[in-house]
Amino acid sequence: MKYLILGFCLLCSSLIQAQEKYSVRGTIKDFSNGETLLGATVFLKGTSNGAVTNEYGFFSLTAPKGSYTLIISYIGYESISQDIELNADQTLNFELKESATSLNEVVIVADEPEQVSIKKPQMSVSKLNAGTIKQMPAVLGEVDVIKSIQMLPGVTNNGEGSSGFNVRGGAVDQNLVLLDEAIIYNTSHFFGFFSVFNADAIKDIKLYKGDIPAKFGGRVSSVLDVRQKDGNNKDFNINGGIGLISSRLAVEGPIVKEKGSFLIAGRTSYAHFIMKGIDELKDDKISFYDLNLKTNYEINKNNRVYLSGYFGRDVFNISKILKNNYGNATANLRWNHIFNDKLFSNLSLIYSKYDYQIVLDFIELDWISDIKNYNIKYDFKYYLSDKVKLDFGVSGISYNLNPGEVRPTSDSSPVNYLKLDEKRAFEGGLYVSAEHQITDKLTAQYGLRYSAFSRLGGQNMTNYINNQPVVYNSQLGIYERGEEASETYFGKSESIQNYDGFEPRLGLSYQLNEVSSIKASFTKSTQYLHLLSNTSSVTPLDVWTPSGKYIKPQRSTQYAIGYYKNFKDNTYALELETYYKTIDNRIDYIDGSDLIGNNNIETEILNGEARAYGLEVLLRKNKGKFTGWLAYTLSKSEQRTLGGQAGGPGINKGNWYNTPYDRTHDISLTGIYKLNDKWSLSSNLVFQTGRPVTYPNGQYNYEGFSVATYSSRNEDRLAAYHRLDVSATYTPNNKPDNRWKGEWVFGIYNLYNRQNAASVTFTQNDQTGLNEATRLSIFGLIPSVTYNFKF
Amino acid sequence: MKTYIKGIALIIGFSFASCEDVIDVDVPTGQIRLVIEASLDWEKGTLGNNQTIKLSTSTPYFETEVIPVVTGASVKVVDMDTNQEYVFIDQNDGRYTISNFVPIIGNTYNLEVIYDNETFTATETLIAVPDFNSITQSTEGGFDDELLEVNVYFDDPADEDNYYLFSFYEPGDLFANVDNFSDEFLNGNEIYNFFEKEDDDDNDQAAFQPGDTVEISFYGISEQFYNFSSIIIEQYYGGGDPFSSTAAEARGNCINETNSDNYAYGYFRVTEVVKASYTFQ
Repeated sequence: MKYLILGFCLLCSSLIQAQEKYSVRGTIKDFSNGETLLGATVFLKGTSNGAVTNEYGFFSLTAPKGSYTLIISYIGYESISQDIELNADQTLNFELKESATSLNEVVIVADEPEQVSIKKPQMSVSKLNAGTIKQMPAVLGEVDVIKSIQMLPGVTNNGEGSSGFNVRGGAVDQNLVLLDEAIIYNTSHFFGFFSVFNADAIKDIKLYKGDIPAKFGGRVSSVLDVRQKDGNNKDFNINGGIGLISSRLAVEGPIVKEKGSFLIAGRTSYAHFIMKGIDELKDDKISFYDLNLKTNYEINKNNRVYLSGYFGRDVFNISKILKNNYGNATANLRWNHIFNDKLFSNLSLIYSKYDYQIVLDFIELDWISDIKNYNIKYDFKYYLSDKVKLDFGVSGISYNLNPGEVRPTSDSSPVNYLKLDEKRAFEGGLYVSAEHQITDKLTAQYGLRYSAFSRLGGQNMTNYINNQPVVYNSQLGIYERGEEASETYFGKSESIQNYDGFEPRLGLSYQLNEVSSIKASFTKSTQYLHLLSNTSSVTPLDVWTPSGKYIKPQRSTQYAIGYYKNFKDNTYALELETYYKTIDNRIDYIDGSDLIGNNNIETEILNGEARAYGLEVLLRKNKGKFTGWLAYTLSKSEQRTLGGQAGGPGINKGNWYNTPYDRTHDISLTGIYKLNDKWSLSSNLVFQTGRPVTYPNGQYNYEGFSVATYSSRNEDRLAAYHRLDVSATYTPNNKPDNRWKGEWVFGIYNLYNRQNAASVTFTQNDQTGLNEATRLSIFGLIPSVTYNFKF
Repeated sequence: MKTYIKGIALIIGFSFASCEDVIDVDVPTGQIRLVIEASLDWEKGTLGNNQTIKLSTSTPYFETEVIPVVTGASVKVVDMDTNQEYVFIDQNDGRYTISNFVPIIGNTYNLEVIYDNETFTATETLIAVPDFNSITQSTEGGFDDELLEVNVYFDDPADEDNYYLFSFYEPGDLFANVDNFSDEFLNGNEIYNFFEKEDDDDNDQAAFQPGDTVEISFYGISEQFYNFSSIIIEQYYGGGDPFSSTAAEARGNCINETNSDNYAYGYFRVTEVVKASYTFQ
């Protein structure tokens, strides 16, 4: 409540100075294809008055009556300057042309171009556009959004062959990943080797590592906001690429010229086509594919509708042994409505689903699990004055989770039909947030999000003796499953448990001079869904579970301060940030926990806590023949789980221990060098402290086997991870009047063939009987070639 | 069964672009502890009078010396239902034996080991095991359609939770292959299990050929032993891979009554076991 009062006072103070003012509003688009530009800057020359376009390319600017020069700019595009006479409210739409040198311009910007990024209170955010991502070397030439963000400070993952990513020492499930606002529950294909985002269908991505705007909620570590392209509304266009693993094709064009457009993009791997030709493999199938769709139509200047969708799948069939497939499906219908010069709104109806199926032929078992949600969101942006912009809105998400269903696949199968209890939940959100220029130098962003969560009935809940789903066995020093006392049935209209959370979000920016500023932020966030995963890397099989009677929502608090400086005429930019984050109610798993097909997950887990802190440095070079960035992160990420209600000291004797995603040092260097018009070269260099692991501290002989003994969790580390990737892009002389434009991308991943350990397993050699440590490394040196085309 | 659902993820994930090699790793050294290997297994069709309990101590992980045996301990088992006491005789080589043990299905047994002035105890119940309905061979079952596997069939009792341990052993091999499962998805049905060996050039292991023999042991085990052996089996066959659980110490059921911090490794189990031998045709 106190935040609201504070916010209200600040607002009022800015409204006192009334004066005759008018607004300019409009949309900024790309000249060549009509794509709206997100984060383009509009400002009145000679004043500090400016605005940035929102997710739909819309801006609104208010200033006292008078004559001005309006400057419209967007990195990688030629700026427009236009004189305007501000004596009435007006609508001005602009189209920017890509600058000739844009291809080698790296668009990784703290946020928006210089005049604003220094000033805006928003911090801890990184933006990458599809062009930059495509230029970075990638394993097997597969352009990968999730891998590219790992080159930024504070972002890592568990190495090759692990899904998802970790932000500032947070877990994979603590990232809210949105594709056109729809939640993506699993970001990976092929167990993390590739990501689900097809770069041809993507306009840009924004990653909030902290200071998360109030309009986002539901996850405690980060938000990855991925926006699909709208589709060219001027011309038909075909983009595509042929690579070693997959091929892509995207078709876009106008439905009604300059009014509506569409984009259809597909990508498929094709190993399975080759396998069909090989006799031994013809019944096997290993493949993944994606389909992206987007269409929009401008009804009139105040109304525009969008429909977007995604469908992706992984399929692994090994004849007569198993069939495995999984994937995400999303759909989003949006309506942009401009109420007036100052009030912009968007209403979204969103559906997303993730499902996983495995059929094991050799035991005649069919396993299915899924999570789906329906989401309605209504967001408003109100350009209150030249000093104050307001964001507010409501959202509601209805979840339906099927944690597992087992079916026999034949009459002779030994398997019994089993369906775990379906879980239902509702999550509501309400937010208001202001971006407020308090003085010329001081800008604040303050907001409050209120979230409420209801775990709905329609299932039995188990009650335990002494209300202990997990019990400490003090004689053996282990945690054991509690004993069931009774069951309570909750009807579909009842709620089993309710939670809510006040989540203040505060950011401050103080401009030291024209080119530097300091910023600080404070963010609280609540997460009601949890991904159950007791393995070091998450797997596609892992099941989501809602908070409820025994599982509490995760709650995070993050503090961050940063220093930002542009120098050498904005050629270079430096960002320094430090953060401290705590997370309450982080689920932890008792030793020997069993999560698969378990109706009573609460008997396997305890509620713990996590903390992370670190220092991030990002030095960018934005202009010239050589562009790129150097990122360094020094950090610590730990967790602790006390016994609590279950008794006993807790997991790992109640001591703090490293999370699997703790990395003391993380250095990434990305460079792109434009040699000449035909050739451009790029490289990635990565160095990271090894992943925390638990090594055996002894052995004993039992039943003829050497059994390893262990003590503290995650006290040891794999060897440091490092590698160098290079790639070269060759663009042949394309005749200017030829519509067909092609380019070749040659790459080498892991140039010096470093055998990075994905894991070290401790086993007894079955010939000698001696114990040995076996290192598994996934990618050695991997060359690749890709051909991209456009016409 | 569940191990399959999980294990498969690993198999597919890493099959296409990976490389394995043995490396040198420095590992920590923990406390040396007493190891109690007290497996009172009653083979169906025998009297079960002869039983052995082995005592040893743990060693550093890469230690290659002979296993340090423990002598001079006093070992006894009490049938809690009949109050019959069985004192095991120290053979001075780490083995403690008895020749008049009487196993009774469903009875509860208590183990007491006194060593170095500390008393270790454990309690277990003798769990029954069903008979095999049949043992067959095939190629089309199992993982590989061209390799021979042995299949065993048995009826799982309905209306109770059952836990099983299997051991498949080809004479001449250094190690048996051990797995366990519960009837969680399978309760009350005829269940089958199979064992297939793969050709492996790295360690000259060969698939089964006609004429090869496989020895099968099938145990009825308690839930607690199932939990204990699950941890050991998962770690033994894949400990440390990215899809395995965080490695944790498997704590058995032996309690140090004198000094609980100085707990013992190992387990006191009392099971019924069916043994069979099968020769491939």
